[in-house]
Amino acid sequence: MTHLAAIATLALLLALSACTTTTVDEYRENGTALTLESGERVVVLGRRHYADYETEPDFIDCIGEKLKADKEISVLPEKEFVDLLYPWFEPRTAPLGLKRLSKMLDEPMIAQRFKEQGLHYMIWIDGSTETTDRDGSVSCAVGPGGGGCFGFATWEKTGTYEAIIWDLQTLKESGRVKVEARGSSYMVAIILPIPIVAQVQEQACDGIGLQLRTFFMGNRVAEAS
Amino acid sequence: MHTRNLIVCALVLASLLASACATRVEVEGNFPAALTHKLPLRTIVVFDEAFASHRFESTEGPEVSISVGQIQVELFTGLADSLFQYSSTTTAMPSKPEADLILVPNVEDVQISMPNETQLKVFEVWIKYNLQVFKATGEPVADWIMTAYGKTPTRFLKSNTDALQQASMVAMRDAGAHFITGFARVPEIQQWLRHRQTSRPDTEDSASL
Repeated sequence: MTHLAAIATLALLLALSACTTTTVDEYRENGTALTLESGERVVVLGRRHYADYETEPDFIDCIGEKLKADKEISVLPEKEFVDLLYPWFEPRTAPLGLKRLSKMLDEPMIAQRFKEQGLHYMIWIDGSTETTDRDGSVSCAVGPGGGGCFGFATWEKTGTYEAIIWDLQTLKESGRVKVEARGSSYMVAIILPIPIVAQVQEQACDGIGLQLRTFFMGNRVAEAS
Repeated sequence: MHTRNLIVCALVLASLLASACATRVEVEGNFPAALTHKLPLRTIVVFDEAFASHRFESTEGPEVSISVGQIQVELFTGLADSLFQYSSTTTAMPSKPEADLILVPNVEDVQISMPNETQLKVFEVWIKYNLQVFKATGEPVADWIMTAYGKTPTRFLKSNTDALQQASMVAMRDAGAHFITGFARVPEIQQWLRHRQTSRPDTEDSASL
């Protein structure tokens, strides 16, 4: 009973300390909110052309969910978009800059597909969440009499992402948001392993998603939150 | 008590055996229709037995087997439908074809890399194709070496099988992107198309970005 209480207290203490720090920076072309007419949509896409990492698809989905949370911003899902525009938004072919996108939209067939989908803004997300530090160890053993784990491990994760908003009508950049989230996770094992995991990617998604919404909804988001 | 110990031992043994098992992937999925202008050509795509049942096998380190034959037949069938005005498929080189070009895709090489080999947190798949293009007379036009690459990040609790399936699908889509955007740019094919255009002025050129 005493052991259980000690484990519970330790877990509670660690849970309190397994928090995440998020820093958000933004840059706007101008102070006015980005407008979306009725039937116009936004698409959020991840950069996938780097060799050693790729922006996680579930992170892109998460940002899409944050943007359309109050149903004022309509978001075209990433997979649907890349399938509709196949093969022009694959890692090999996706435009890295507005100049290339502009050339792509000179092709009537592609421009027509954009128009059919009511796309007004394209948001590119570049970055990933990585484990940056790791310490300690947990060992587990199983024998005829039973099994268990013992030890303590900690690891730190950092999520760094940048969002760039392209206006598809003016073919200009509307703004940028950069987010860095760091968090330490712990695993305490006294017979049973108890993981206390910092939600780094989720926090980065919250930070970037909320900030992106302010581009479209001005101060209404800040007031609501 | 004795039964409980036996169950524990059996579970441990089962988990050890499961971890030592080979990774076998039958790549499955669908490809979207390509958004492209059709070239005014009649083509026949030849999928020989080696291509249609191609399986990559590696016994170095953990045993890995990836079957890409069926999925790449589906991929190239769809790509040819999207890129050419008329397209059909066959399993052997036709003798008197009613076509402008005959395409024979071959797999030259498949390579994979897993996170435990590279220390990168991605599964990677490379496929090297040799797309042989012939005139209807059987005369060769081009040997187009086309490489495709796909990767997928590691995920907590995601199996090697799922990761390699996803990376293979990304590589297939990449092959498709390469085929659609690059076919009319291959110098020999470009030359053949130009020559054909001058001899048949009613044909139109393809869009290339």
